[in-house]
Amino acid sequence: MNRSSFIRRLSLVAAAGFASLFATSAALAQAAPPAAMRETMAIGDEPGRVSTEEVIIREGAFARQLVFFRSTEPVGTLVIHTSERFLYLVLGNNRALRYGIGVGREGFTWSGLVRVSRKAEWPDWTPPPEMIERQPYLPRFMAGGPGNPMGSRALYLGSTIYRIHGTNQPETIGHAVSSGCFRLANGDVIDLYSRVQTGTKVVIRHAATL
Amino acid sequence: MPNALRAGFLAIAAILGLGPLAAGAQTLAAVKARGTLNCGVSQGLAGFSDRNAQGAWAGFDVDFCKAVAAAVLGDPTKVAYVPLSATERFEALRAGRIDVLSRNSTWTLEREVALGLMFAGITFHDGQGFMVLRRPNVTSALELDGVTVCVQAGTTSADNVADYFRANSMKLQLVTLPTAADVVQALDGGRCDAMTTDQSGLYAERLKLARPGEAVILPDVISKEPLGPVTRADDLQWFNVVKWVNFALVNAEELGISASTADEAMRSAKPDVRRFVGAEGDLGVKLGLDAAFAIRAVRAVGNYAEVYERNVGARSRLGIPRGLNQLWSMGGILYAPPMR
Repeated sequence: MNRSSFIRRLSLVAAAGFASLFATSAALAQAAPPAAMRETMAIGDEPGRVSTEEVIIREGAFARQLVFFRSTEPVGTLVIHTSERFLYLVLGNNRALRYGIGVGREGFTWSGLVRVSRKAEWPDWTPPPEMIERQPYLPRFMAGGPGNPMGSRALYLGSTIYRIHGTNQPETIGHAVSSGCFRLANGDVIDLYSRVQTGTKVVIRHAATL
Repeated sequence: MPNALRAGFLAIAAILGLGPLAAGAQTLAAVKARGTLNCGVSQGLAGFSDRNAQGAWAGFDVDFCKAVAAAVLGDPTKVAYVPLSATERFEALRAGRIDVLSRNSTWTLEREVALGLMFAGITFHDGQGFMVLRRPNVTSALELDGVTVCVQAGTTSADNVADYFRANSMKLQLVTLPTAADVVQALDGGRCDAMTTDQSGLYAERLKLARPGEAVILPDVISKEPLGPVTRADDLQWFNVVKWVNFALVNAEELGISASTADEAMRSAKPDVRRFVGAEGDLGVKLGLDAAFAIRAVRAVGNYAEVYERNVGARSRLGIPRGLNQLWSMGGILYAPPMR
């Protein structure tokens, strides 16, 4: 994404205020290399497509599962490893609950520490102008619901435009996808939502840059 | 070390046959002259070393053979795979039938000292774990008090599980069954609540359950089974080559160098990356190879994460989480010394 479209897109979330401008320009400096965000799935958003409402990934590596995870972060922290496509909820005692995620190009533009600033059920969706440019058929606004690409739940991250959200395209979990930040299957994001409070620390980590 | 002491040490070393370089231990030169690497693998273990549908060898341990061949010979296909049973594997290495053993073998004191072998590092931290069915609220092995656990007879797993339950003051009902297949069936049929074997085995056995999604493999690891490649102890140069190919794959992951970013890495300005790809320094030459050995290994098989995920991890049928085998900085204990 180029800088000007990024800024235009920021104006759309002007409600978030100047703080987001600082947060995002700092973020640009830490952008991951192109290789890490190479899309493995060229799939457009499909507004209106209703996935089976609360899909939970039950099998394979991207199913929600308990894993060994050494961390000095306090219990309850979310740690996102974008290169692995996993989100970890730190449980302490060297373990974590791991969820499979899809990472959109916005998900690769920022790393560091944020906090969950807001939680929303069946969030509305306002595609940013730069997405409209890519996919002109997208609606300008879409109310929350089963066909909404934001999915069933959203966790807003700090004052940035980034969020952890659901999806109506559960088959994109485990891939780098064209848009969005961190998407989980709808059933899994509902589970995560129930375990996470506003104010929770979220650590986002990319693979090393060359 | 004072001179008198040193002379004494050398004399003793000579008597014991521990000279700094035993004659005839020129594995590196032999491999280069032969043009192929003789690599000992298993007779067939899914994810680690197995023949695929086309009859070609594939797997985590096989990729390590390929990485060594790419580093030493410049071609990952120049490998002669020698399938070995558990009983013949170490003798085959000692006798020189193979140059390196890359066959899910556990690093123990006895194997190094009694057999005259050296483990070149740990490529996979395995260990005994538990798989449970129909107990969705169990999150830790410490919650298994009083449950029925199935285990294969004649394995160290049976002793380990008894020790573990005793150490944690838990009541154990152990059911010992003759084969691994019996154990899985017993779990599936409800005869036992949990089964135990090494973690890598649990993920393979889970695929055989009627509904694999309902089984939970607990993250607890109750024993140490560090698996890694083995070389003969009389050839320090070759040992170092094998050891540093392993470290190179781990360091590549940490530095962000992968098969798909190898070209990008060649242009990097970071000193660590420049040394790794051979643009700076002569690390490879010091090993008896050339400057580009490490990046050739990565181009051939990818970095550690790529090898892991393709064969046993998220991109494979086994789906074993990285767990202990994640980088030390990312939640695991994988740690490679720096290349400098």
